[in-house]
Amino acid sequence: MSDASTPDDVEPGHDHEHHHEGPGYTTPQAAIEESEREQLAYVMSLYVGTDVDAPDFVAVVDLDPDSETYCEIVDRVEMPERGDELHHFGWNACSSSCHVDELERRHLIVPGQRSSRIHVLDAKDRRNPELETVIEPEDVFEYDLSAPHTVHCIPDGQILISMLGDADGELPGGFLELNEDFEIEGRWEPPGEIEMNYDYWYQPRQNVMVSSEWAAPKTYYPGFDLEDVEAGNYGRKLHFWDWEDGTVEQTIDLGEEGQIPLEVRFLHTPESTHGFVGAALSSNMFHFWRDESADDGQGAYRAEKVIDFEARDHEDWDMPVPGLTTDILISMDDRYLFGSNWLHGEVWMYDISDPSNPRRADSLSVGGTFGEIQEVQGRELAGGPQMLQLSLDGERLYWTTSLFSSWDDQFYPEEAERGSVMLKADVDPRKGTMELDEDFLVDWGDCPEGPARAHEIRWPDGDCTSDVWQ
Amino acid sequence: MTSHDVTLEWPDGRIRTIEVREGETVLEAAERNDIGLPFGCRTGACGTCTGRLLEGAADDALAHRRRPRALKDRHLSNGYVLLCLAAPRADCRIAVGSSVHTELVDNPWK
Repeated sequence: MSDASTPDDVEPGHDHEHHHEGPGYTTPQAAIEESEREQLAYVMSLYVGTDVDAPDFVAVVDLDPDSETYCEIVDRVEMPERGDELHHFGWNACSSSCHVDELERRHLIVPGQRSSRIHVLDAKDRRNPELETVIEPEDVFEYDLSAPHTVHCIPDGQILISMLGDADGELPGGFLELNEDFEIEGRWEPPGEIEMNYDYWYQPRQNVMVSSEWAAPKTYYPGFDLEDVEAGNYGRKLHFWDWEDGTVEQTIDLGEEGQIPLEVRFLHTPESTHGFVGAALSSNMFHFWRDESADDGQGAYRAEKVIDFEARDHEDWDMPVPGLTTDILISMDDRYLFGSNWLHGEVWMYDISDPSNPRRADSLSVGGTFGEIQEVQGRELAGGPQMLQLSLDGERLYWTTSLFSSWDDQFYPEEAERGSVMLKADVDPRKGTMELDEDFLVDWGDCPEGPARAHEIRWPDGDCTSDVWQ
Repeated sequence: MTSHDVTLEWPDGRIRTIEVREGETVLEAAERNDIGLPFGCRTGACGTCTGRLLEGAADDALAHRRRPRALKDRHLSNGYVLLCLAAPRADCRIAVGSSVHTELVDNPWK
């Protein structure tokens, strides 16, 4: 099998019925059944915007509880230049290409959010990935795009990256397509389809892609300025695209309660048109779905606020503190929506078995402004839970604590001095509960060049925020 | 060839004076001198390389090569400059280091 993502000790023939030789898993349930416990994590790690004179790096974290280096950063893949702001990243191939025999999940596409430099890492050796090739910022700017964010593979081997700005860091953003050889293929969509951009997810069987909105890079890069919200410089729209044509079919304005819609996820089941988006500034969750009866039977997407996290008073703050729901993910079995209230210091899980009526299952109060737990193993926490990643079997939730270097400096200046941490909760998906694992701590404060921030997390063999099914 | 002496001052008291050549930005001159200043996009959009002019008017001392999009009017009038774009017109002193760009925005709720 060429599929680097299939563990060697899995019985051959488990997937004969589907002639599945490509990367990933045939179905979301197959991912739960066939995957092994995550042994390693790749974590975006950064020095940009600090006085540490070193490039950002991809950390390889040992997650094997039986290993002597459990909870340690066992390898650091340094980027060639400083100043990148590594942020989100993705694979060259996922389960959406599981029918393509010659593809394998092997290369990590690692963009620099500030630099617009795009790195490709060869992760054939899962413990020691190597830098393979670099697309320089000037080559990206030629397409009048900058600020690469979300990376997903397209089913036949191409890669699509959401780009938040034009070459000047202003609007509009767009999408950049790379070919199988990691060269720029061009701009994916006709220019002018959208103004703001951020995250996106596609559901190929429904021929739909959904994208969300942050702001122009020049607006969010220097930090969060409330004046920009008042001036309408931050986003609040969702765009529903014709996936085949690359054109926007429908735009939904989420309104005042939908300010800054960031992470956007469809359910994993390829049949589903349901999904969720977290409006970070408003601290609300929106459920979206296709209503076939809308538009006189033509069908259209609808979005509705289903969870509202209230701002909380704090004696040291002049105004109520918003939760800032900066990340969400859906468990592989589509049963739970997990999310983080970064400014409050909370991770939560909601039962979404009825997606229109999410039911709070459990939450943990840790780190951040209000967290009940403010240290783990004697290590004082700073930022609240931020980027999340869930094991494929849904039993272990991990998170890091940095949002974005300049925004961290505003809300949690200690994050730069102490570095980020990665924490873990054990989840019981049958009981709908989670519990902080106090034996687990990965500390970026101990990095040899100095304290580093930590952002997005990925597993070597697919995870709840990378894999899509055809 | 014209050049200007630019004195870089860090919050911890460290001071370095470097010669910035004609056509060079302060960031480029610092790199030529192996001084690691913070930077990000290098196009003037992100503000990571922000410095603050310590005396005189910014317009007299430095010229931005392109429009410094990361800075708002209130920043420009308070002497903030983007070192990735700023070419000196005269000898000057600039506050540098990562704490300078954190001055651009406050926590709006605290």
